[in-house]
Amino acid sequence: MNKISPDFVPQLLAGMVVNFEIAAIALLIGLAVGGLLTLAKLAGGVRGAVATTLIGLMRAAPTFVVMFFLLNIIPSDATLFGVPVAPSGIMTVALSLVPYAAAYVADNGGEALRQLRDGSPLGALLFLPNVTRAFFVLVMSSSAGAAIGVPEGIAVILREAELMPTLGDKMVLFAIGILCFGITLQAGFALMRLLQRHLGRLALRTREG
Amino acid sequence: MTSRRVLSFVFAWLVLLVGLPVRAETPDVALAKLIDEARAAAAVPGACEQPGLDRLVRIFCDGKIRVGVREYYPLFGTREGQNRLGYDVDVAREIAKHLGVEPAFTRVNAASRIPLLADDKIDLTIATMGHNTQRDGQVRFIRPHYYRSETIIVGPKELAIKGWPDIASRTICVSIGNGSNAQIVSQNARLMLFDEAGVLPDRLRDETCVLAAQDDSFFDYYFTEPAFAKAYDRKFGFAQLPWGMAVALTGSDRLARALDLMSQIFHRDGIFLEVAKQNRIGLGFLELQRTVWNRPDCNTDTGSTNPACVLPALSAVLQPTPFAGQVTAFETWLEKHTGISVQFPMFKTMPAWQLFKAGIANSLVLVVGALGATLLFAMVLGALQSSHSLLLRWPARALTIILQSSPVVLTLVISAAVALALFPYSSAVAIGAAIVALGLMNGANAGQAIGEAMHTLQTERGGAPAPTVELFGRAVSRSATQIVSFLVNAAKGTPIASFIGAPELLSALTDITSFASGRASTYSLLLVFYVCVVMVVVWLCDKLRIWLERRQTVTA
Repeated sequence: MNKISPDFVPQLLAGMVVNFEIAAIALLIGLAVGGLLTLAKLAGGVRGAVATTLIGLMRAAPTFVVMFFLLNIIPSDATLFGVPVAPSGIMTVALSLVPYAAAYVADNGGEALRQLRDGSPLGALLFLPNVTRAFFVLVMSSSAGAAIGVPEGIAVILREAELMPTLGDKMVLFAIGILCFGITLQAGFALMRLLQRHLGRLALRTREG
Repeated sequence: MTSRRVLSFVFAWLVLLVGLPVRAETPDVALAKLIDEARAAAAVPGACEQPGLDRLVRIFCDGKIRVGVREYYPLFGTREGQNRLGYDVDVAREIAKHLGVEPAFTRVNAASRIPLLADDKIDLTIATMGHNTQRDGQVRFIRPHYYRSETIIVGPKELAIKGWPDIASRTICVSIGNGSNAQIVSQNARLMLFDEAGVLPDRLRDETCVLAAQDDSFFDYYFTEPAFAKAYDRKFGFAQLPWGMAVALTGSDRLARALDLMSQIFHRDGIFLEVAKQNRIGLGFLELQRTVWNRPDCNTDTGSTNPACVLPALSAVLQPTPFAGQVTAFETWLEKHTGISVQFPMFKTMPAWQLFKAGIANSLVLVVGALGATLLFAMVLGALQSSHSLLLRWPARALTIILQSSPVVLTLVISAAVALALFPYSSAVAIGAAIVALGLMNGANAGQAIGEAMHTLQTERGGAPAPTVELFGRAVSRSATQIVSFLVNAAKGTPIASFIGAPELLSALTDITSFASGRASTYSLLLVFYVCVVMVVVWLCDKLRIWLERRQTVTA
């Protein structure tokens, strides 16, 4: 087995921080855009129809294509009122995940508001674990950044794998990657289950009280 | 008898004289004659004020030659204050010295080096200009060429890459518009595009790029940096491009002829070679040319027109499509009537059109394949996870957890690595690997949903009856929403197959934009295409979901 670079694990962890950063940015923007779309959809009429169409289009837009679209449509020297606005690689990946995040938030936000109106705060609170789930899906999806040179976790693994001569050596690296991302994902889902249970207990206590 | 013999001898001598080829003049004699004539023409009182003067005569009138050179091209043309450095600059100085005049430099760049000649702002351009057939209609190139560059692949020293077979399926960083991009694409490599070549060394250093392709003349400078030369090396070169000095198409006949002869002499006598050594640039081409121009058949005043001695211009014209004219007319019409400037490079040249058509076909194959594979893996893994046998159930669950824990890009890369260990690289192998990866990822999740549905059905029947085909069918119907959602996900994921070199539409359009313009409209078209494809898949999947749910109601 070819020796793995001593910098590999620190670089991988630093790369995974980038994955979390991308997911956090995408989710924050997604919450804002998705929230507005939810309100517009619930308002009905023309606004509702426009919001529904937009949500449908966002749901159908493949993240990877959106990423390349953004990368190529915004000039690298773009400015707005003299301020450079061309997004960095990390921001481009985050923005490419926004359509998914916003559509997800709009779908689940609408459902949560409906539950709240129907007098089921517990049902409405399910929005929180759902958003947590979306966050971890975004973390995994942010690996697409490797295609445009963003130094996230998978890019680090692939860079190291390029220097490995055999398939066996490469597989060891890939297994390390799956383990790192897997632990993160499973920890996230465990957190989500804990949150769900806690909210359940909270709702039960409220009902009994 | 004697007079007859004398007459025969004279006749034979005359025949011999006529039959012998005329001994060719050397380029030195021809050049000296040309310069003397031009000097004499310039010395005639009032001649320098005459309009339509050949530029060679005017150079002697002014006592200077105006040369366009670059200022930001390391090793070839740079400027530090008033001091100009580089191979091109020193060649210009040698020419001026040979003519006995002073060089007067003007800054040019890739965009201005031809217009400044046409506008008579400069007499000669020596500015890293590749000689291609397209430019032959704009300027008069000096033959023989004064240098030749080639595109080289540069990467870390420890990476073993020797030729094209080692390049397939790898990502190579390139600058947009580089003429050799099309050749890299044809070798099944993936491209990562950058606006400027200047960023490539930095992207190698920060490891964004493992390999980069650019002119050797560009990388020559970086290889003079010890740290860069220690870490990276040139893997191999291709797409040789001769560089030409050039003069204006009109009014420069004598100047062009003088420069042709001078270029011959500079090659033959090693003057170009010496200047190149002083500037630490690659010498391979110049050494070869020195041998060529010392050959008797080339070292003549007609050597610069001898096809056996000079290099041909690079053919840079891409074959247009039969409808290229209509496409251009539509672009013009659209801009005129809406003010929106769009370009459709995929419809204008045959190589782009072929890539585009193949990209669409491959994308559709990928979508259909990914949907089929998702359904297949969902059924298989669903059945395994519904089984009573631990030996079947647990491996299926373990596989599902592993697939759920692996980011999509990593799963694709693993699938491609396994496929390439079994088969030699080809587009079909890349597409197949992508279909398997997308099918496994989404099928595992859908299979888990089927397994969970089976579990609920068994619980509802008050225990754990043996799984039957009928029960499995009901589990599939019950998990219809989940299956449909992962089918849509599989369709949405297909563009990512371009990451492992599958030649679908995203990959094809990236290749097209690497050698053509119109990036914005190209990627807009790509987005519209994929959104439409996914919407059709959503519509079809919705029909499938309704059918499955109805089936569940009927069998309940």
